[in-house]
Amino acid sequence: INHVVHNGGLYKRPFNEAFEETPMLVAVLTYVGYGVLTLFGYLRDFMRQWKIEKCQNATEREEQKDFVPLYQDFENFYNRNLYMRIRDSWNRPICSVPGAKVDMMERVSHDYNWTFTYTGRVLKGIINMGSYNYLGFAQKEGTCQEAAAKVLSQYGAGVCSTRQEIGNLDKHEELEKLVARFLGVESAMAYGMGFATNSMNIPALVGKGCLILSDELNHASLVLGARLSGATIRIFKHNNMQSLEKLLKDAIVHGQPRTRRPWKKILILVEGIYSMEGSIVRLPEVIALKKKYKSYLYLDEAHSIGALGPSGRGVVEYFGLNPEDVDVMMGTFTKSFGAAGGYIGGKKELIDYLRTYSHSAVYATSMSPPVVEQIITSMKCIMGEDGTTVGKARVQQLAENTRYFRRRLKEMGFIIYGNEDSPVVPLMLYMPAKIGAFGREMLKRNIGVVVVGFPATPIIESRARFCLSAAHTKEMLDTALKEINEVGDLLQLKYSRHRLVPLLDRPFDETTYEETED
Amino acid sequence: MNVGVAHSEVNPNTRVMNSRGMWLTYVLGVGMLHIVLLSIPFFSVPLAWTLTNVIHNLGMYVFLHAVKGTPFETPDQGKARLLTHWEQLDYGVQFTSSRKFFTISPIILYFLASFYTKYDPTHFILNTASLLTVLIPKLPQLHGVRIFGINKY
Repeated sequence: INHVVHNGGLYKRPFNEAFEETPMLVAVLTYVGYGVLTLFGYLRDFMRQWKIEKCQNATEREEQKDFVPLYQDFENFYNRNLYMRIRDSWNRPICSVPGAKVDMMERVSHDYNWTFTYTGRVLKGIINMGSYNYLGFAQKEGTCQEAAAKVLSQYGAGVCSTRQEIGNLDKHEELEKLVARFLGVESAMAYGMGFATNSMNIPALVGKGCLILSDELNHASLVLGARLSGATIRIFKHNNMQSLEKLLKDAIVHGQPRTRRPWKKILILVEGIYSMEGSIVRLPEVIALKKKYKSYLYLDEAHSIGALGPSGRGVVEYFGLNPEDVDVMMGTFTKSFGAAGGYIGGKKELIDYLRTYSHSAVYATSMSPPVVEQIITSMKCIMGEDGTTVGKARVQQLAENTRYFRRRLKEMGFIIYGNEDSPVVPLMLYMPAKIGAFGREMLKRNIGVVVVGFPATPIIESRARFCLSAAHTKEMLDTALKEINEVGDLLQLKYSRHRLVPLLDRPFDETTYEETED
Repeated sequence: MNVGVAHSEVNPNTRVMNSRGMWLTYVLGVGMLHIVLLSIPFFSVPLAWTLTNVIHNLGMYVFLHAVKGTPFETPDQGKARLLTHWEQLDYGVQFTSSRKFFTISPIILYFLASFYTKYDPTHFILNTASLLTVLIPKLPQLHGVRIFGINKY
């Protein structure tokens, strides 16, 4: 197969991403499945309305029946007719630390998932393939936990104030200097919540008259932040550099929509690893485009910090690029560091500006001290500054686990999306019934997975998402792979035709439309 | 399944008809309907064809032009609540390939039905009336129009 690699000269390492196309038969059967579910949904709604069947949902009171309805009950159609049937695969209560193995409360439902009762039994030792525990720092023993416990007894659990008032601890300053050193930037600032980092800081950076170019599959926090800012948002195809370049050219040539004035700022929003697809952003090309068209880059490394790169410094190190090229480096402490919160790193002027103008800094409570200590200890461990090689070993273990797991799953014949090096592994299920069946069968075999379906994914691309961890030993992975193999045979999930193209550039076409700006 | 409902696609309903395999499933569905009708021993061939045409158009009218809104909650504060699925397709952009496909397919079915009913007057009236109910709402001039306020809210 003659395959032209676009801009291959910018990459210092092979970039292997593949999104195998849905087999046509599977797509047709998926639509048939959704069609049957829709028809049965209408039938059940009809029966519920005419009181042939008991309605388990909340309904209006008798006195309010003549008023204009508060909610449109068609919007709940999917929820009550599809989601309710397989609801037991989500919101499972866990009762231990979500490390490589986790304990779950067992629950049963006697009325087809409308209500759950707990049997009281605890399922112990379930292999956890769903937590974002990339470096295995979600532990209840170890140096991080001891340091956090010491800080807890010293500082207490709460801060009771915002950063700008009396909530700025010396621990926060220490953390921010450490984060800046870790990332290789001049300065950094940490916030208590990862979602709030995105949604509260993008409005501080851009406003009306600015342009935001955001990837198709960006997270809700980035989308919300972009909307709250009031800037114009244009969406480019996922990881598609031709689409991004076209948008940049159009923006610079045509300017703002009616007045044709130049844009005040152009900000490109991308993520390091996209957790739904398992794909890694094409950072060398994005940076080249950014420099050529003089725009700014906001990189959200929520899933990639700690998980990529030879020493865990994220996607910038993975590609061997200069951290100063990325204007705003954002990330979260939730995934690889086993804590909570987010950070933004960049030039000193930028961070000083954010300290004054960001909503999170002014109004949100600052981070809790034990959490800060957990991050400090785990970051020092990753950097090797605590005197051991535990951090480096963990990063290497994660990379080995990723390669091994992905290779074995591909050999078994499943369709796996995403880049070969990403620790997020989406396994395609496609049909709605298989979503519920996969979740339940894996739980029966003592493995906890996260399954996702429409509308979080496109209608035919429902998937199960595995998140690998450095805490998974090879034996655990082998057990999990054996069970996945069994379930794959049972549910006939091995769709792959092994026609893997090494670098599948999705062709850029004009045939999707987006919402026009108001 | 709101796990990570976190992408820029505000209303997935707009893209459903463009997804891979949807057109093929639709054609196979109509074919299956026709075969089922042909298998019923009491129906003559012209009757089966007229029934296919009428039932197909009735189904298309109900699902594309009568039912409004989305069966799931969208993050756009209900911009599409008062729009039928046809009006939601591709965010209201006219003459996209899905729209053309779904406009042409009832016409093709009508041609086939007229041929197989040997242009009999009763069948002709039925088929034409049913074709018109499904073609007129698709005109771009009728985007968002509710005649006599029927189906407005």
